[in-house]
Amino acid sequence: MRPRERLVVVGHGMAAARLVDELVRRAAPYAITVIGDEPDPAYSRVLLSAVLERSHRGADIELRSAGWYADHGVRLVTGQRVLRVDRDRRDVWLADGTRHGYDRLVLATGARPLLPPIHGVVTPDGLHPAVHAFRSMADCRRLDQAASGARRAVVVGGGLLGLQVARALSVRGLDVEIVEVGPALMGRQLGPAGAQALARGVRGLGTEVYTGARAVGFSDSGLRLDNGFVLSADLVVLACGSRPATRLAQRSGLMVRRGVVVDDRLRSVSDDHVYAIGDCAEHRGRVHGFVGPAWDQAVALARTLTGSDRAYDGSRVVARLQATGLELAVLGDPERAVGERVEMANPLRGSYRKVVLRDGVLVAAVLIGDLSRIGVLTQHYDRRTVLGQTEAAWLLHGDASAPADAEVPDDVEVCACAGVSAGRIRSCRDRADVVARTRATTGCGSCSDVVDLLLPTPTSGRPHSGALLATK
Amino acid sequence: MTDTHCPYCSLQCGMRLTGGRGRTTVEAWPEFPTNAGGLCRKGWTSVDLLGHRERLTSPLVRDPATGELAPATWPEAIARIADEIARAQGAYGLDAVGVFGGGGLTNEKAYLLGKLARVALRTSAIDYNGRWCMASAATAGQRAFGLDRGLPFPLADIAETDVLFLVGSNLAETMPPATRHLDTLRAAGGQLVVVDPRRTPTADRADLHLQPVPGTDLALAHGIVHVLVAERLVDERFVTDRTTGYDDVRRLVAGFWPEQVERVTGVPADDIRTAARMLGQAAHAMVLTARGAEQHAKGTDTVLAWVNAALAAGQAGRIGSGYGCITGQGNGQGGREHGQKADQLPGYRRIDDPAARAHVAAVWGVEPETLPGPGRSAYEMLAALGDSDGARALLVFGSNPVVSAPNATRIGARLDRLDFLCVADIVMSETAARADVVLPVTQWAEETGTMTNVEGRVILRRKAVDPPPGVRSDLDVIADLATALAAPGEFGRDPETVFDELRQASAGGPADYSGIDYARIDAEQGVFWPCPQPGHPGTPRLFLDRFATPDGRARFHAVEHRAAAEEPCVDYPFHLTTGRVLAQYQSGAQTRRVRALAAAGQAFVELHPVAAQRLAVADGAAMRVTTRRGTTVVPARVSTAIRPDTVFMPFHWVGANLLTNDALDPSSRMPEFKVCAARLEPA
Repeated sequence: MRPRERLVVVGHGMAAARLVDELVRRAAPYAITVIGDEPDPAYSRVLLSAVLERSHRGADIELRSAGWYADHGVRLVTGQRVLRVDRDRRDVWLADGTRHGYDRLVLATGARPLLPPIHGVVTPDGLHPAVHAFRSMADCRRLDQAASGARRAVVVGGGLLGLQVARALSVRGLDVEIVEVGPALMGRQLGPAGAQALARGVRGLGTEVYTGARAVGFSDSGLRLDNGFVLSADLVVLACGSRPATRLAQRSGLMVRRGVVVDDRLRSVSDDHVYAIGDCAEHRGRVHGFVGPAWDQAVALARTLTGSDRAYDGSRVVARLQATGLELAVLGDPERAVGERVEMANPLRGSYRKVVLRDGVLVAAVLIGDLSRIGVLTQHYDRRTVLGQTEAAWLLHGDASAPADAEVPDDVEVCACAGVSAGRIRSCRDRADVVARTRATTGCGSCSDVVDLLLPTPTSGRPHSGALLATK
Repeated sequence: MTDTHCPYCSLQCGMRLTGGRGRTTVEAWPEFPTNAGGLCRKGWTSVDLLGHRERLTSPLVRDPATGELAPATWPEAIARIADEIARAQGAYGLDAVGVFGGGGLTNEKAYLLGKLARVALRTSAIDYNGRWCMASAATAGQRAFGLDRGLPFPLADIAETDVLFLVGSNLAETMPPATRHLDTLRAAGGQLVVVDPRRTPTADRADLHLQPVPGTDLALAHGIVHVLVAERLVDERFVTDRTTGYDDVRRLVAGFWPEQVERVTGVPADDIRTAARMLGQAAHAMVLTARGAEQHAKGTDTVLAWVNAALAAGQAGRIGSGYGCITGQGNGQGGREHGQKADQLPGYRRIDDPAARAHVAAVWGVEPETLPGPGRSAYEMLAALGDSDGARALLVFGSNPVVSAPNATRIGARLDRLDFLCVADIVMSETAARADVVLPVTQWAEETGTMTNVEGRVILRRKAVDPPPGVRSDLDVIADLATALAAPGEFGRDPETVFDELRQASAGGPADYSGIDYARIDAEQGVFWPCPQPGHPGTPRLFLDRFATPDGRARFHAVEHRAAAEEPCVDYPFHLTTGRVLAQYQSGAQTRRVRALAAAGQAFVELHPVAAQRLAVADGAAMRVTTRRGTTVVPARVSTAIRPDTVFMPFHWVGANLLTNDALDPSSRMPEFKVCAARLEPA
């Protein structure tokens, strides 16, 4: 028997964990090795802010135990960096000096947080003790600990992650402020009206927002902004976005633009034996930073690695804020998407909704404050449903107003069990007569109240109009 | 006056029949606890089936010269069947004759039919339409609890719980008299959660209605367990003391946070959290699934995911709590216990278990080696008809697969490839119309027999009137065939005699009936199995001390969510789901012939107003509904009760199942009736 091909996965985040899951489920014929630089087992990175908020414990977001890997014949190496890839010899070198040969290599190295140039946040020993990044479980633990003794926090960055961290700290009881260099919170996704609704929501929860302000220095007196404000803070969280972790790929001579450039098989355009998925990959000029596309890519690559020739043709992204008290979803790229825009704002409710349609297909949307339609919107978006002309309005508005009360027509069925109309009930004298002549009320019994309303009342002798059941 | 039970669903409501044939009337039997005197319109009108003008009263045999069915005597018909069986088995082997049973047959008939197949025909080719009904829940129940009984408690217990989850059940329409228990529950302050893509009359009663995309119930359950874990609502003590497998599920659901599940299921994340809190914070809760969750190519795993939810919340194995399945057909429960299922012998024994084979063979007076092994499941048996290793001759009892099978065009074509088809029924069903021999048999009030209802309660459906002249019981037919085939052993004709034999055959099995007899059922208004000896009180509530697994613990299962076998696309943009309506029952062979019901229940396709606007159709317009397998035209019913991305059709007419998908669950072999991709256009 031919020995199984060796598959080495560099990285142990959500993309890598999903890839291994899918390969195991398909009984893929590989000897798999997974090498992660974090010491922890795989976990749901998107839930780190929930751990910080303490709506989840750290253990609750673990995806797979080390034992699971062993049970399924997967070699797991944690807490180890890969220093280089030797593409000629096809092996990877680890920091501890060991080498792992591969027949196929998957880069799932994720992304690194961007650290803005703020004077004083970086010291020769690393980040200033009061300054935090928020990407890994280790970051989360460090911040979690710091949050317990802190009163005031400033979050630098008003994007999705910044908002989630700000909410988490706020739920923990800290006074939180957000500093965003751009003109609005999530400005690139939301546009002015949406961003305004969001900012109102955030402020309503007690978190102050400074937009168009750059943090320039950090010292014991606080975080200094370029507009002259100094925000006092026991801790500062940097949530200024991230950049694909491509250093290893670059050093190995693979083509890298923003991410590791891959084709529709998620294969490096420079080397047939190397693949890249997740936040580190660049496909058709796009890099993501969300778990949805990372999982799509993991599934697509598992398919490819088990013999399918189905191409990966990109992902549809839904960015969903996970933060107590804030309702926000962004589908696609509403500011740049080409198409007709339909929007509705209700400042009284703090809600804002927008859909972008092209040729009847939903290509982007924003929902803030009222997500009652999200379960339909995302389905239409993911399935590229061709909608009718009036549907956008329905998606934004909700149901038409309830019909007005009216007398129940005689032909309306009152007792579904026995199939009895209002007219037949009206023709009866009393409950006993109803039971004897129509069997109504004898099945599930739930029509009893309505039947009583339709019968002549003992006092007036006149039947009630039965208006109360008109909307049923 | 006769106390008996309704001919239809698994509730088996007690009813009182008075008057003789032709003037029989239905009255309430208030003392019977399951329905306490309540009946739905199907029950009230059921006597219209007695003396119905379409009733078959003579055997019919197809004349090879004219191709027409013509009346024949019983001996002629039986002789013809025996000849055809001998011819098929002589030419192609024992498995060339298949038997297809039904979940509406009494325990006695189901038992004797299995015996006929294994002893007289010696064929492995026997299965029944319950495979399309209960099989996913049955398989899941065995895996999770070591035993499958629809409800592990009496139905009335649901009024005593605090939170009731109904997953894919439209109880208020499919079994209206059960709804009074929901109302009692709510009147006492209990809460109801309904999971259904449609806002059904059941969902109208709910405190919380979750409206998922068809085929995503599994992910929804994972989302609920995720929240239970995160919010410390897992009953750690119960999990430790009474279950195994929790850790794998805990990690699996880490990837199912509410916003992720919202994307998959179309259920808002906050509703998922609310549902989980209701389940997790309740002192007592029950999770009941029905066909909506079960009739999927991942039906077994979907049920297991909901069992996980119940177990994580500690809601099983004690009074007022538990997981249960709401059985569909009248004898959906008993019908799967006594040997008409391809892999089973009486007493819910496995046919590949040597000890089970030895026990049953001894009762039947044959050698264990002569019993065939497991055969194909229902859909696979029908899909192989006419193949070199499939059946060439088929005997159908109490089933109408031309209407009820998925991808029905394919099954119709397969039936046409048979050398011989025999159907025993009360009327000329769509399947009987294709038969070479049609046998007129008795129906519910014309015969006595036991049924096992949704509760696992064995009840006695008593004879109230004499059958029309010319009609015989299925038991007579089976016994006549056994005689004509010179089968070894006895084939009783008297129901009570057959039941006594069934008791012996079931003794020691999981569904042990040996302590139950007709007199006890009479005296006790039914007896719950298992009832392993005459003095035993029966078992209304299972699992109170231990689950039926070897180690006594219930099992969590780390089941994977996956997409439906067929997802919507540009050409077929809607999810199509199917189900029952109040006025009709199953393939409609009975209810479509009751005038009051036929008028109330017509075929339709339900769609949301925005979908109707998109298609430029109004309520009542003729719609062509098309899938990759077939097409049909039905009137539109425009309703806000359904998701805008989903359409619904009732399945009681030829039409719906021309469209449905025959993708099968890998374990239960349940077809994916509940979701496929469809196109709609004005007809």
